[in-house]
Amino acid sequence: MNSIREYFYLSSGYGAGICIILIMLIILAQIVGRMLGFIVPSAEDFSGYCLAAATFLGLAYTFRTGGHIRVTLLIHRLPEKAARLAEALVLLLALGLTSFMSFYSIHLIWESYVFNDVSYGYIPIPLWIPQIPLGVGCVALNIAVLDDFIGMLRGRDPSYLAHEDELKLEES
Amino acid sequence: MEITALSIILALFMLIVLAAGLWVSLSLLAVAIFGLYLSGNDQIGLLFATSSWGASTAWSLTALPMFIWMGEILFRTRLSEDLFKGLSPWLSKLPGKLLHVNILSCGIFAAVSGSSAATAATIGRMTLPELKAQGYSERMAVGTLAGSGTLGLLIPPSIILIVYGVAAEVSIARLFIAGALPGLMLVILFMGYTAVWASFNRDELPRGDERSISLTEKIVALRKLLPIVGLILFVLGSIYGGFTTPTEAAALGVFGALVLALLTGTLSIESFKQSLLGAVRSSCMIGLILVAAHFLTLAMGFLGIPRELAQWIGGLSLNTFELLLYLTVLFVILGCFLDGISVVVLTVAVVLPLIQQANIDLIWFGIYIVLVVELSQITPPVGFNLFVIQALTGKDILYVARAALPFFMLILAAILLISWFPQIVTYLPQTMTRG
Repeated sequence: MNSIREYFYLSSGYGAGICIILIMLIILAQIVGRMLGFIVPSAEDFSGYCLAAATFLGLAYTFRTGGHIRVTLLIHRLPEKAARLAEALVLLLALGLTSFMSFYSIHLIWESYVFNDVSYGYIPIPLWIPQIPLGVGCVALNIAVLDDFIGMLRGRDPSYLAHEDELKLEES
Repeated sequence: MEITALSIILALFMLIVLAAGLWVSLSLLAVAIFGLYLSGNDQIGLLFATSSWGASTAWSLTALPMFIWMGEILFRTRLSEDLFKGLSPWLSKLPGKLLHVNILSCGIFAAVSGSSAATAATIGRMTLPELKAQGYSERMAVGTLAGSGTLGLLIPPSIILIVYGVAAEVSIARLFIAGALPGLMLVILFMGYTAVWASFNRDELPRGDERSISLTEKIVALRKLLPIVGLILFVLGSIYGGFTTPTEAAALGVFGALVLALLTGTLSIESFKQSLLGAVRSSCMIGLILVAAHFLTLAMGFLGIPRELAQWIGGLSLNTFELLLYLTVLFVILGCFLDGISVVVLTVAVVLPLIQQANIDLIWFGIYIVLVVELSQITPPVGFNLFVIQALTGKDILYVARAALPFFMLILAAILLISWFPQIVTYLPQTMTRG
């Protein structure tokens, strides 16, 4: 069970990583193309889609590893019991908000599909296709929050806590 | 509902969820939903979905993960060591000697990295043990590192300037170039202060080792700096010259960093994976904050809060100086509890109408806000540079903050200087042909 879970979160991270590599390749292709005199069609559209995919696909991994920032000044100073209660409430609120995100991102994909929305660029692309990672990423984040919330109710510490005190780079 | 009451309720709600420890991005989302709900909007979910899609596919934002990844790759190379060895022979005659290595290495690393925490960590890991071993004042070693680590925010490429540029719809290329001179000015201020300090506190510096270093030795040492200087010239030169957009320069920079890591033998499958995952973590964190902030900006616009606030402040007939003074105080207070990027995205939606109304140049304001955020990086209780250096040295945070205090004052002086002489910021971008 644990290995499936870790595999799930890690693939969220690598999925986003692959999109970041794709962004680099698309932009490099565009530069090379300009020098050699060919154009990469809709390069800006495609790298934008990869950016959206990278941002959303990696959310669950980032959540799991304590990458999302928050103000821990208060919560880390509360007495043990109160801190757990506050943490559970925060997770419950986060669960509500991420469910909202999941529902409406799927709704967006559905609408783009039903109304046949296409991109304005050189190559018209049905928008529901690049919007899929948005939905997948939101749902994965939703699962990650739910996972920690259930764990919390069962008396485990949330996964992100372990990483929160680590030295974080690229913070700002 | 009356708009003043609505604003106060929303501000309080924001404070409560942030203080409770809800993630910054989700807090912004919660406030936006709550605000739209109070105003009786019935399309909240739809607005969220379309604004998120728009915000996350913005072309200019693609520079963000690129520059973050570039920093992550270079962080895992021997760059900091090369900087130390390349610079130290040249600085042995200046009063304060190796303390200047801290400042200059941070300045140079800042030109390939967009983050101040990464700058302080990368350089400090190398220089702090060395300075301590040679008997330099520890307080000054820590202070110079804390102060010049913040250069990562200002000297291009800068993550926070990308964030500001996207939020304020200002050219990122021009913002980058605008940051170059103020960044250089800060380096000079820091080095000048260190030299003066060293002349008065000779007993806190190591004696001995007065052997002169031959010119050939210096030239050989300089060769170690070639790769990184090449990378900087390549990335910044192509933006300034208008050959590439910042996004393209960023992609080239990643490529260059990978080649550099490969040539110096520090690139392995494992370090590649780690750098990529590190980049994912940072860019997803910032990405979600930006998506939520975009939605919040939209919600604020619907509610009309920025417009009302601008009118209200306009009615007070503050002059530009007073306006900037109050804003500085507000940002420093916010910066005590939030990180720089959150401060920028939280305030830009509300503050920009004020700035435009006061006829303040948006590029100048971007540099100004970054300098203020630099201040907040080295003020307790929440200052990320303080955290990084605390982790590096094991000293407690108040000690680090005290050591950084002179540099806090110097950054404050820099803010005054760019206010008196805005040309320091605006000169270079005005000479740019494109971008």
